[in-house]
Amino acid sequence: MATTPVTARVAVDIGGTFTDLVAVDSEGRVRRGKAHTTPDALERAVLEVLAQSGTPAESIATFVHGSTVVINAVTERRGARAALVTTRGFRDVLEIGRANRPDLYNLRYRKPSAFVPRHLRHEVTERVDYTGTVVEPLADAELLEVARQLEEQQVEAVAVVFLHAWVRPDHEAAAARLLRRALPGVTVVASHEVSQQWREYERTSTAVLSAYVQPVVAAYLAALAKGLTDAGVDARLYAMQSAGGVCSFDRAVRAPITMLESGPVAGVTAAAALGRRLGTGQVLAFDVGGTTAKVSAVLDGVPPVHTLHHVDRSPTSAGYPVQVPVVDIVEIGTGGGSIAWVDDAAGLHVGPRSAGAVPGPACYGQGGSEVTLTDANLLAGRLDPEFFLGGQLALDTGSASAALGRLAARLGVEPAEATRGVLRLAVAQMANALRLVTLRRGLDPRDFTFVAYGGNGPLHAALLARELGIRRVVVPPGPGHFSAFGMLTGGVTAQSVQTFVAPLDNADLAGLLDRVGSAAREELGEPDAAVRHWLELRYRGQEHTLEVPVPALTAGDDDLRRALADDFARRSEREYAFRLDAPLEIVAARAEAVVPLDDTPWGIGDDDDVPLRPPRSRHVDFDQHGGVMSTPVVDRRSLAGETPLQGPAVIEEQASTTLVLPGQAACVDADGNLVLEESDGR
Amino acid sequence: MDADRFTLDILREAFLAVADEMFVSLQRTSQSPVVYEVLDFAVGLTDPSGELVSQGNGVAGFLGPLGDAVTAVRETLPQLQPGDVVLTNDPYAGGGTHLSDVAMVRPIFVGDELVAYAAAKAHWTDIGGKNPGSWSSDATEVHQEGLVLPFMRGWRAGRLDPDIVRLVAANSRLPDQAVGDLLAQGACLDVADRRVRDLCSRYGTVTVRSAMREVLERSERLARAALADLPRGVFEAEDLADGDGLGNGPFPVRVRVAIDANGVHCDFTGSHPQVPGPINCTWTGLVSGVRTVFKALTDPREPATDGWFRPLRITCPPGTLFTATRPAPVGAYFESTEIASDLVWRALAEACPERLPAGHFLSVCSTSLTARHPATRQPALLVEPHAGGWGGGEDTDGESGLVSVGDGETYVIPVEVAEQRYGLRVERFAIHQPDTPAGAGRHRGGRGLVREYRILGDDALLTVAMGRHDAVPWGRSGGRDGSPNYVEVVSADGTTSGRFGKVTAKTLQPGDLVRIVTGTGGGWGAPSERPDDLLAEDICDGYVTEADIAAFYRST
Repeated sequence: MATTPVTARVAVDIGGTFTDLVAVDSEGRVRRGKAHTTPDALERAVLEVLAQSGTPAESIATFVHGSTVVINAVTERRGARAALVTTRGFRDVLEIGRANRPDLYNLRYRKPSAFVPRHLRHEVTERVDYTGTVVEPLADAELLEVARQLEEQQVEAVAVVFLHAWVRPDHEAAAARLLRRALPGVTVVASHEVSQQWREYERTSTAVLSAYVQPVVAAYLAALAKGLTDAGVDARLYAMQSAGGVCSFDRAVRAPITMLESGPVAGVTAAAALGRRLGTGQVLAFDVGGTTAKVSAVLDGVPPVHTLHHVDRSPTSAGYPVQVPVVDIVEIGTGGGSIAWVDDAAGLHVGPRSAGAVPGPACYGQGGSEVTLTDANLLAGRLDPEFFLGGQLALDTGSASAALGRLAARLGVEPAEATRGVLRLAVAQMANALRLVTLRRGLDPRDFTFVAYGGNGPLHAALLARELGIRRVVVPPGPGHFSAFGMLTGGVTAQSVQTFVAPLDNADLAGLLDRVGSAAREELGEPDAAVRHWLELRYRGQEHTLEVPVPALTAGDDDLRRALADDFARRSEREYAFRLDAPLEIVAARAEAVVPLDDTPWGIGDDDDVPLRPPRSRHVDFDQHGGVMSTPVVDRRSLAGETPLQGPAVIEEQASTTLVLPGQAACVDADGNLVLEESDGR
Repeated sequence: MDADRFTLDILREAFLAVADEMFVSLQRTSQSPVVYEVLDFAVGLTDPSGELVSQGNGVAGFLGPLGDAVTAVRETLPQLQPGDVVLTNDPYAGGGTHLSDVAMVRPIFVGDELVAYAAAKAHWTDIGGKNPGSWSSDATEVHQEGLVLPFMRGWRAGRLDPDIVRLVAANSRLPDQAVGDLLAQGACLDVADRRVRDLCSRYGTVTVRSAMREVLERSERLARAALADLPRGVFEAEDLADGDGLGNGPFPVRVRVAIDANGVHCDFTGSHPQVPGPINCTWTGLVSGVRTVFKALTDPREPATDGWFRPLRITCPPGTLFTATRPAPVGAYFESTEIASDLVWRALAEACPERLPAGHFLSVCSTSLTARHPATRQPALLVEPHAGGWGGGEDTDGESGLVSVGDGETYVIPVEVAEQRYGLRVERFAIHQPDTPAGAGRHRGGRGLVREYRILGDDALLTVAMGRHDAVPWGRSGGRDGSPNYVEVVSADGTTSGRFGKVTAKTLQPGDLVRIVTGTGGGWGAPSERPDDLLAEDICDGYVTEADIAAFYRST
C-alpha cells in the first residue's frame, strides 16, 4: 500500500464500439484506456479497461459511469415483461399514441409497436380531473383483482398511469403502494414518480419504458458494483444522466430512464466546462465519431435541455416519447464510416448508412467495398495511412482507391473530383447541422467558440469554421477521450419538471419555483443544494413553448415577471422573427439541483505511450482552399512555445488528426488545447 | 472540372432546409390548434415561374396548392415589389381549397432580380361565415363559409397593411387567432426571404436558379425511373361518395387510370356533378388527392416538387364533385379530395400490393364542438380530425388508430390537454370493437377508435362532417369490408340519437355524451386463410371474438 494517500476519480464511457476510460488522480496524473465494448456483458469491458489503465483500485474514490444499457434494452427489446394499469376507458392510449403518420406518403406505415401488449394492459375505475378534483374514487377491490391477474400473467414490471396524475398523484401513489404489497419482487413504477408533465400518451410511454428497463438496469448496475468491489474498488459510484450531471447508482436504479443518453451528453458537458475555463459561455460542441456527427449549442455556459425526448424517432417513424430532461443534441448520419453513394438520378449522397466497425471503410482492408468519408480523407492526403489510431491499423490506400474509382465512374467524373465531392458534401451536411442549432434559432455561429472532439471532429473542424465564419477552433487534448472526461466535469444533479398552466401575470411564481426546486433537492437528497430554475412560457393561445431561465430571485414577483416577459419576447423574436402583444402563460417549471463533484484537476493526458514522430510533409488536397499542396505534418506533442504553426498543416495524434487550412494558425495553450485561429484578417 | 455539380447537391439540401425552417417557424408560433397540432398547413419555395422546388408539409393532402397559388398570384398581380405579401383563399382560383385555408405568397428579390417565391398556406380556425369554425355540413353556397380574400396585399414593401388586419379581425369569431396566424405566416415568409437571399449571396443568383432547375429535373428523372416499376395497363374503380349533408346522395364517382411508358393518366370523367352541400372540392383539391397516391406509388420518401408530378396527367370536366365551380359550397372539400385519393388507390391496390393496402376509414372525420368552458364561461371551440382503422395488406394486418390519407404528421389532441383547454370530460379513448366482424381477412383491417366527450358547459353545439358513413372501407382479395364512421349522442336521460355521419350545429345539453366512432379498415385475403396462431393472439388481445371466429374465420 502506498503511504501517500493518492486518490483518483475515474470515468468510464461505454459506447457502441469502444469503452473509454479517463482517470485523474489528486496529483494531476491522467490515465486513459480504450477497450472494445462487450455487448453481452458490458461490465466486463469496464473492468478490462480499468485494469488496462493501471489505475490502482484502492486509489479510486469516485467512479462515474455512462453506458448504453438503457437505450440498448429499449432498442433491442431486452427489457422485462411489463404490464400497464391505467384509468378505466384508456388502456389503449399506449397503442393509439398520437395517431400521426410521419411518413406521409407511405400508405403502409406501421406504428412503432407498443411495449405492453393489449392483454397486459388493465383498467381500474378512478378519475381525477385537470383541476385535481376527484371525480371518482379509486376502486380498491378492482385493483386487487388486477393484482391477482398480474400475478397470474407473471409480469416482472408494472407501470401505473392515471389521468391527471401530473396535477394530483394520490390515486397513482395509492395504487402503486397496493401493487407493491401484493406483488413482491415485481417492479412498480407510477407515472408521477418519473414525470409530472401532462399529455397522457407521452407520460404513459415514459412510465412504461421506465418499468420495462428497470430490472435490467438494476441487475447491470449490481453486477458492475460487485465487479468493482471484487476488483478492490471502494468508491462512490455515480451514473451519467441524460440531462448532464451524474447521480448515485441507487437513484439510477429508481429512475433508470434518466440514463437514456450518456456519452454524447458528457461530451457537451465537457465542452461547456472547457468554455468556462476559456472564459466563454457560448460554445458549439462538435463531436464526430464513426457513424454520426453530433452538435449542440451551449448558451451562457449551460447545455441546452429539452423536456420531451424521443427514442428511435426518424422522418419515417414516430418513435417512443420520453418525458425526461435530455441535453438537446442534433445528430446526423455523417461520420467517418458513412458511405458515399449515387442515386438513380446521379445525385451524390454521404450517409446515413455506415460501414460500421465491420467491415469498416474500404481502407481498413477488411472487405469493405464502398467509399466512406474516412476513405475520401485518406485519398485527399488528409489522413496518414501509416499513423491511423497511432499506427495500430495500417490503412490500405489501394482498396480505398479502387472503391473510389467505382464511385467516380458512376458519377462520370475524375477520381480526384469524386473525392472532393464526398468531402464537400459531408462538410455541407455537418454545416447544416451546425446552422440548425445556431442560425435556425436566431444565433450567429461567429459568436461561438467551436470545440471539436471525437475521433473525426478535429479533421473537419477547420473547414466548418471557415464555412461558417467562425474564427476560433479549440481541439482539447485527447479528443477521443473528451466525452469520458466530461463525466467528471458535471456535478451530482437532479432535475424536476412540473406542468403548471397559469397566466404569468397572476401566478404564484415564488410558490411554484419553490415547489419545483424542493422536488429537485429532495430527489437529490441534498436539502441545501444550489438550484437553477427555468419556466416554459408561451403567448396565450399558442401551443408550443420557449424555455426561459429564471434570473436569480432578488426582487419581488413583479420584477421577475417583467424580466421573464422581456426575455421571452427577445427569444421569440430571435428564434421565430415573431413577437406579439399578448399576455404570457406558464406551462411548466423546471429545476435542477446541483452539488458539485470535488474540483477535478483539468487534464485529459497525452499520448505518452507512443514515440514522438519527427516532422514530415506530404501532399494534401485542400480543394477550394488552395488545391493540392505539399503540407507539413507534425506530431501534436511537438507543438509548444510562442510561435504558432501556420497553415496549411496537418497535426497528428494517436486518436485523431487536425487539419489546418491556409490562412489559419495553430498553437497550444496552457491547458494543452490546440487552438486554431484565422490569421489573415478574415 | 465540373465544380458545380456538387454545389447543386448542396443547394438541393439547402432548399429543403429553408422549407423545413419555415415549417417549424409557423408551427411553433401559430395560435390555431389546426395548425400547431393537426399541422394542416404547407410552406415552400417555388422558382420564379411558380414551380415548387421544396416543400414542408405536415399533411399529405397539400400537394398542389403552393405552386398553383404562386402561378395565380403572378398572373393576377404581375408587378409585385420586394416586401409585398399577397393573401388569397379563393377556392376557385389557383391553389384554392376552402376559405379556411389562407395562402400567402411573397416574391424574393436580390436587387431587382426575382429569384424565387416563398409561399405558406394554413388553415385558420375561424374566418367567419355562418358557423363557428367556418365549415358546416349544410352550407349551400361559398358565401356562407366565410370571408373571401381575393389576392390582396397584406404587406406592401415590408409594411403590414392595417386595413387588412382590421378586415380579418372584424370577420373572425376568433380575431386574436386569425390575426396571430396572419402574423405567424408573415414571419415564416420572412425567414424564407432571408435564407434564400443568403444562399444567393453565397453561391450567386445564377447558381441558385440553375440549382432550382436541376432540382425539378432531377425529381422528374427519379419519378420516371420509379414509373418503370409500375404495371402497365388500364385500371378502373368506382364508388359511392357519402351524402352531402342536405339529404342528397350518395353520389357515384369513378376513375380510369391508364399507365404507359409516358406516365400515368387519371381520368375522372363520369363522376357525379357538383352537389348542393359543402363536400365539393375544386381543381386543386382533386390534384392534391391524386398526387398523394402517385407519390405513394412512385417513391414515398423523395422530396415532393412540381417536377415529380410531370409524368402525371389528370383530367376531369368542370362542374363535378371534384371540379366544383363558383358558388358551390366547399367547406368540407377535404372529403372529396380523400375520395379522389381512394379511387386511384382502389383501382391499383391489387396491381401494386407492395405499396397499397385495402381501403381505410378514409375520412378526415372532422368534428367541431363548441361549448362554454365551465371555468372561464367563455366559448371554447374544439375542431379536430379523428384517427381510424387502416386496411390489411398483402403481408401485414392493418394499423389501428392512425390519421387518414389526407392527414399526416397530424396529432390527436391529448385527453389531458383537451379537458383543460375545452372544459369537457373525455370518458373513453380506446380501440373500437365494431358489432360486425368488419375487416376480417387473412390480414385483418386495423380497428377504428372511440372517443367520448361528456358535455359540461352551456350553449354546446356539434358539427360533424364524416365520409364513409354510408359506404364502408373496402376489403381486397377476399378480405371483408370494414365498418362505418359515425357519431351518436347519448342524452343525460339515456336516450340515444341514432348514428349519423353529418350534422350541423346540433344543440347539446350539459350531461350529454358525444360518442365519436371511426371505422375498421378492410381486410386482405380470405378470413379462412388466417393462421391459427394469429387468431389465438387476436383472441388473447381482444381484437377478435370467439363468435367472429366461428362465424367468419373458421365457418364450415
